[in-house]
Amino acid sequence: MKQLTIDVGGTFTDCLCLDEAGVLHRFKASTTPSEPTKGVFAAIGKAAAFFNQTAPAFLAQVERIVHGTTLGTNALITRNGAKVGMITTQGFRDVIEMRRGIKNLHGSIFDQFVEPYEPIVPRYLRLPVEERIRYTGDIVTPLNEDQVRQAALQLVKEGCDAIAICFLSAYINSAHEKRAKEIVSVAAPGVYITTSHEILPVWREFERFSTTVISAYIGPIISHYLNELVRQLSLNQFTGSLMLMQANALVQTPEHCSERAVNLLDSGPAAAPSGALAVLPDRGQANVLSTDMGGTSFDICVLKNGIIPTTSENWVGEDRVAIKMVDLITLGAGGGSIAWIDSLGLLRVGPQSAGADPGPAAYGKASHATVTDANLVLGYVPSDYFLGGEMTVDVERSRQAIKKIGDHLNMSVEDAALAIWTTVNANMSNAIHEMCTKKGHDIRSFTMVAGGGACGAHAAGIARRLSIPEVVVPRVAALMSAFGMYNLDLGLEFARSWFQDRNKVRLDDLQALFNEMRTEAEKEFGKLGADISQLSYAPTVEMRYTGQFTDLEVELPGMEITDLTIDKLVQDFHKLHKQHFTYNLPWLGVEFLTFRLRVSVPRQSMQRLHVAEGGASRHIAHKAVRRVLFADGARETPVYDWDSLAPGDSISGPAVVVDRTTSVLVPEDFDCSVDPSTSLVLRLSSEASAISRRTSKKEFA
Amino acid sequence: MKDVDPITLATIWHSFQSTCREMRHVVERTAQSYLMAHLKDLSTGIWLPDGSTVAVPVGLPCQYMGNRFGIQAIMKKFENDIAPGDVFLVNDPYEGHNTHLPDWGFYRPIFCEEELMFFTMVRGHQMDTGGSYPGGYFPNAYDIHAEGLRIPPLKVVAAGQDRTDLLEFIWANVRWPEAVKIDNYSMMAALKFSDDRITDMVRQFGRDTVKAGIAQMIARSEKAVRGEIATIPDGTYSGESATDDDGTELDKPVWVRLDLTVKGDELILDFSRSDPQTKGFINNVYAATYATSVTAVLIHFSPALADFHNEGSMRPITVLAPEGLVVNAKYPATVGAAPVAVGTQILEAVMEAMGKAVPMRSMAAWGKHRGCYTFALDSRSGKPYVRTTFDYDGSVGAVWGHDGPTGPCVLPTMAQVTRGNVEEAEIRFPWRILKTEIIPDLMGAGKWRGGCGIDWRAINEGGAGRIATGSSDGDVMLGKGAGGGYSVPPSRTFIQRDGKSMRIKPHRLVELQTGDVYIKLSSGGGGVGDPRERPVEAVLKDVRNGVVSLGVAQGVYGVAINSDTMEVDLAQTAKLRAAPPVKECDIAIDEELLSARVL
Repeated sequence: MKQLTIDVGGTFTDCLCLDEAGVLHRFKASTTPSEPTKGVFAAIGKAAAFFNQTAPAFLAQVERIVHGTTLGTNALITRNGAKVGMITTQGFRDVIEMRRGIKNLHGSIFDQFVEPYEPIVPRYLRLPVEERIRYTGDIVTPLNEDQVRQAALQLVKEGCDAIAICFLSAYINSAHEKRAKEIVSVAAPGVYITTSHEILPVWREFERFSTTVISAYIGPIISHYLNELVRQLSLNQFTGSLMLMQANALVQTPEHCSERAVNLLDSGPAAAPSGALAVLPDRGQANVLSTDMGGTSFDICVLKNGIIPTTSENWVGEDRVAIKMVDLITLGAGGGSIAWIDSLGLLRVGPQSAGADPGPAAYGKASHATVTDANLVLGYVPSDYFLGGEMTVDVERSRQAIKKIGDHLNMSVEDAALAIWTTVNANMSNAIHEMCTKKGHDIRSFTMVAGGGACGAHAAGIARRLSIPEVVVPRVAALMSAFGMYNLDLGLEFARSWFQDRNKVRLDDLQALFNEMRTEAEKEFGKLGADISQLSYAPTVEMRYTGQFTDLEVELPGMEITDLTIDKLVQDFHKLHKQHFTYNLPWLGVEFLTFRLRVSVPRQSMQRLHVAEGGASRHIAHKAVRRVLFADGARETPVYDWDSLAPGDSISGPAVVVDRTTSVLVPEDFDCSVDPSTSLVLRLSSEASAISRRTSKKEFA
Repeated sequence: MKDVDPITLATIWHSFQSTCREMRHVVERTAQSYLMAHLKDLSTGIWLPDGSTVAVPVGLPCQYMGNRFGIQAIMKKFENDIAPGDVFLVNDPYEGHNTHLPDWGFYRPIFCEEELMFFTMVRGHQMDTGGSYPGGYFPNAYDIHAEGLRIPPLKVVAAGQDRTDLLEFIWANVRWPEAVKIDNYSMMAALKFSDDRITDMVRQFGRDTVKAGIAQMIARSEKAVRGEIATIPDGTYSGESATDDDGTELDKPVWVRLDLTVKGDELILDFSRSDPQTKGFINNVYAATYATSVTAVLIHFSPALADFHNEGSMRPITVLAPEGLVVNAKYPATVGAAPVAVGTQILEAVMEAMGKAVPMRSMAAWGKHRGCYTFALDSRSGKPYVRTTFDYDGSVGAVWGHDGPTGPCVLPTMAQVTRGNVEEAEIRFPWRILKTEIIPDLMGAGKWRGGCGIDWRAINEGGAGRIATGSSDGDVMLGKGAGGGYSVPPSRTFIQRDGKSMRIKPHRLVELQTGDVYIKLSSGGGGVGDPRERPVEAVLKDVRNGVVSLGVAQGVYGVAINSDTMEVDLAQTAKLRAAPPVKECDIAIDEELLSARVL
């Protein structure tokens, strides 16, 4: 049987097919935003055609599809979601509008001319009802059921497609939200409903309400899409399992995700780090810098000891999303990023992007100079083999566009192109460095995995700036997310916020709490036909020093709660605190805030990847010699065909390696070798790295 | 001067900027203080040894924009005694040109190939700074000595060696010394980080190139800011603002008055007409006035320059403030509240004057800071607690082109503080919160209106104690709108006890009992532009959203809306809007109903 991964991005729909022989095949189709299932089936059709089959015959032989889609992210960012109403606790209807007082989320303090934040639910659709639960879970004011009914009817009258029910303290006592949901489902049949205790049963109302509202906002679109996809797949003889890739890098069923649409934000891009790990199967707990540079953006994820970091501190555009998501930093730097001159006369690149449409000047539609244009002029991306020759590009238009930039800077076209390349590299390097400073990592001990179609031309430049000793450009770089989807666990995450002092907590109560989450997990996995005995449990506790403000999530040694395991937990907390913040305060007591349980079915370990070759034979690996521009002048540079390279081959810079999805620059001071999975491994050549070692080793804090 | 190509220049420039941001990340990751690690009460920056500003992208303006004076003081005192690895600590307003004592600044000289090329600084609000009252925010201190420990420029690390005798002397004079110690080392670690980053960069490009690059950075910023100033018609524009009182001499407003003169491409800010320094704790030293007023000017220039301000941006601006005034206090005046009062008033005076000078970038005043300190007993634990928060504040003012958002607050921080969550507050403190919601109409109207006023109420379920309205303001003296926009309405504070409401003025200390309901009605921001030019749809939207009443829509905005159909009566609206402007309509707080009322 075959396995498929399908990643629907903003521009392209990527499809990877792992055949019975363990070989990966790559397919790409255009994304069809108005009817996304079309693009999915176009990609499936290409795969089927490759195997000389009809789509139904092909799908009948597919046992599993893992699917990622940016549908939810796009709907949220472009404000194209459902009309949402909110039913909330009287006295607190403005929580999501006040947004904890944030004015300028992304910009400088010297910029006060910012558009005010527009909450997803306008105030007239945020309807207060009488009810109040105390932080202990005790009911202060009973739910006014009639007001809930009236509110639901009014929201229907206003034309709402979705209703978010958000009450204070619902994380500790969900009775009012549950009852309100029953009333709303009767009063407003067919309306998509979310409740805050189901979406995110964790304290802090702004974060919980915001997440619940977002889930309602993208919920109707997501559930409609998933229904349609499931229907069409089954019409086409697909009887395997369809799994959706979630923001936390776990996969789940369409039914589960339809009710918790917010979990599908970042579905797709969040798989790249899993892909980066899979590219390095022999490295074990490696320190990996996962990067993914596409047409408009550059995603960064730092994996210390091979662990994919997740965080609940997420913003998607201007909106707060507090579910656990893979900790990605996104920068507006991609192949389509536009070069411009600012009011101080300085060259800037991005964050505006020409995207795929109109695209770089070379595409012939617009005249912005983009990063891709610079790469074409410099020869880092071959103009005669762009996307494997599927697309013709006009380098003369690139030169004209860059000339305009050069004229401002008093530079030749070539120097300006080099300046654009250098500037975008500097932007990406600075962002990586800043992220590492925030987390306390020394990036010079990391291996960079360069994913994304555009990264190959920049990876060495970034590595040189950051003194990263080794860069791996995977054979599947251009389909990094689709590739990463092979490397995800099926799983669920549970959470319960319950504020407890370590010295006062009753262990029986804690045990009961974890047992409750475990029972829920067994029930959910039972529905999927999973073998309950195979489940793996990862319980954690979010905790902090009494009266302090910095929470840390610490692993519990196991599912048994005893004095011993809790003491171990507290010890580990002190240790982790020291690791994260460089100090600890062991004389203070500790408080427990949120108890979490991650339950997963371990995936089968991935075999070494074999990518189907293009059919070219070994002797034409050396395709041509081209004039390529570097900082110290133009150089006749060999261009190699990646499809013809074999494991063990090595190339010394300068060189360019191309295939039909990407292009990789090997500068003069780098060596390149081909690893067993035909990924390219770039290393600063020994002479060059000796120079970089001379810069003193730094320690801080 | 060596020539620098534009790409190297941009690289150097961005490197300085990101070094400053990363210094803050280091502190956020290693400090234990909530103010520094979470509320961003923290600034970082890079200066030349002569005090010229190289990069200042992050921080609270009054903590660092006037730092040239602090660096000059260090240079003067230690002239030939500055070595690599030294760290200086300064918090004194009089000998160290700092704003108030709790903001401790650590400075590090940065040497490249034995040449002193830079100073970097991290300044952050400490948990305590000694003095007669915890936290350094006491309105009735006798003089600066009673406000806390004064630290003139002091070498606390000599060539990499801690001077532990000095440091221990300092920590012995503050409350919670263990915590303050952690924070101090966190700040010093950020300085060490900056040293590594900057020396690396200088090694990469060479000293001459970096120096030439800085000269160009400064020249380009100066040219851009002079270009902005040159577009303003020459003349003198004035602005003024007052605090309700100074906290010691009650109910007597204290005024900051500004005459801002534009002459070609230069600006002169003359604060000479301001009130004399006061007995209470609202005085600003010159460096604080300089920092705050220069920042207030810069935010009126093109947002495209926002990330690129440096010495060049400040050069065209002169700040005049004769000694002995509340804007240039003499020793031993108290300065505890300086960042908020009269810091806010300095900002508002500049905003008013700049709004007249550059109407297309005008900004209305914001709702005043409404801070209160609660000291009482948490009967759940039997322990005393202190509560400070930004939750009671109203909202920001409008700017030309945009309404003020609802929620953001505290003008002297440029809205860099965050509000807490009810669910967290109720666990931490023995108060049940009854309401945190928009008060309709309690903001300045305008073509662009201010963010909304906020109604915050809670019941004390804990023990007895006291509440100090020390950093509240704005009950009497109102911030102004701009370009025909309406003023910030007044705010009020009440305690409800046995069914009766008692009003509490700003800068007071009152007894608190179990069962008291504490009510803060805090105004939103001022408006910009004539409200009768506000698009009819925007007014209708506000009415539908219940943030503007039908009465105000009709009386102030000139928009007639049918209350049954919620449709605009276009004919009536046209008539209302054509009529001569009405006198500015006042919004006040009805002390019986505890809601906004149109007078």
